[in-house]
Amino acid sequence: MKIAFTSEGTSWDSLIDPRFGRTENIVLYNEESKELTSVDNSAVKNDAHGAGTATAQKIFELKPDVLITGNGPGENAAKALKHINMRIFVDAHNLTVQQAYNNFKSGNLKEV
Amino acid sequence: MKEIVVISGKGGTGKTSITASFAVLGSVDVVVADCDVDAADMHLLMQPDYDFAEDFYSGEVAYIDQNNCISCGKCVDVCRFDAISVKNKLFVVDPISCEGCGYCARVCPTKTIVNKNRLAGKWYISNIKTGSIMVHARLGIGADNSGKLVAKVKNEAKEIAMEGRKGFILVDGSPGIGCPVVSSLSGANFVVLVTEPSVSGLHDLKRVYELVKKINIKAGCIINKADVNPEKCAEIVQFLIENDIVHLTDLPYDENFTRAMVLGQTMVEYDHGILKELLTESWEKIKQLVIN
Repeated sequence: MKIAFTSEGTSWDSLIDPRFGRTENIVLYNEESKELTSVDNSAVKNDAHGAGTATAQKIFELKPDVLITGNGPGENAAKALKHINMRIFVDAHNLTVQQAYNNFKSGNLKEV
Repeated sequence: MKEIVVISGKGGTGKTSITASFAVLGSVDVVVADCDVDAADMHLLMQPDYDFAEDFYSGEVAYIDQNNCISCGKCVDVCRFDAISVKNKLFVVDPISCEGCGYCARVCPTKTIVNKNRLAGKWYISNIKTGSIMVHARLGIGADNSGKLVAKVKNEAKEIAMEGRKGFILVDGSPGIGCPVVSSLSGANFVVLVTEPSVSGLHDLKRVYELVKKINIKAGCIINKADVNPEKCAEIVQFLIENDIVHLTDLPYDENFTRAMVLGQTMVEYDHGILKELLTESWEKIKQLVIN
């Protein structure tokens, strides 16, 4: 399973970025290969408008099975993301990527 | 560190007056972020010293290098915004009309037109009268607020709050439900909805709450001028109950609101009666809700 996190950094110890559209990075964990990778999102962060849908596009290309974020995508981004078969979990802000992953595994994250 | 965002949906409900009162009540433990950048007015009540200022760029604007312009006029033909005109035989761009689409630059045969980053305004870090710090911005004429600018103001406030180990960031949010509002809200721990008992007050409250719900933030509501329309007020209270929104308080209509504003003061500085009492109670309630 491939899990995407919106994160302020690029490692397990980085905090979850509560923002979806203007997240600093998208961190990806591949459970099969146990690989942690990341995608820099600063280009989208600097767009004046339309950050949510631009990040949704990126997520679409990465095709994760699960997305873990803070406040969750807004209306337009959520609509776009409905087109891929992906589960979205929110309220993971103030957690590190590692803590968010653990909470997800133990079923302690809120699904939207 | 907890982030509290005050929004209203509708303008003129008293959002900024109430936010400013909370800033005074929270004193040094609160970093203020004015994200209502289209009509920034928190500075009128907070006496900022504009200690740090930096230019803010957003979007693009066409620029014509006159040395290489052959006056072919192709740019004028393609501009859909009538932003290029001939003045004293020179082709010039009106930066207010220019949307930065880049069509002129594309058709220019001598490549003398380029898009440059647009100077949209300035943003500031100020020491304010509460003994704390405020991050705010001022836009140039015709420049619009954006999610990017709001994110900038909020992130700076967040960094200052972290460094100073402050308890709260208090955000005066943007009006409406568009991009700047989404940006004001994201990352917040609690949102205060300020409304008034009018048809548009309730309508816009419902609209903005749709958004708040979508991005999963706990909300409370203050009904300002609650006594001017008891029926509408009851309708709002009903809406709050149905949606599990904390009803923080009702504020009566009071001309002290205006009197305080004229003197550049917040309600909690000017008023020593019921308004001050209710606002203080609300602030304490919000703090409790945010911490738990």
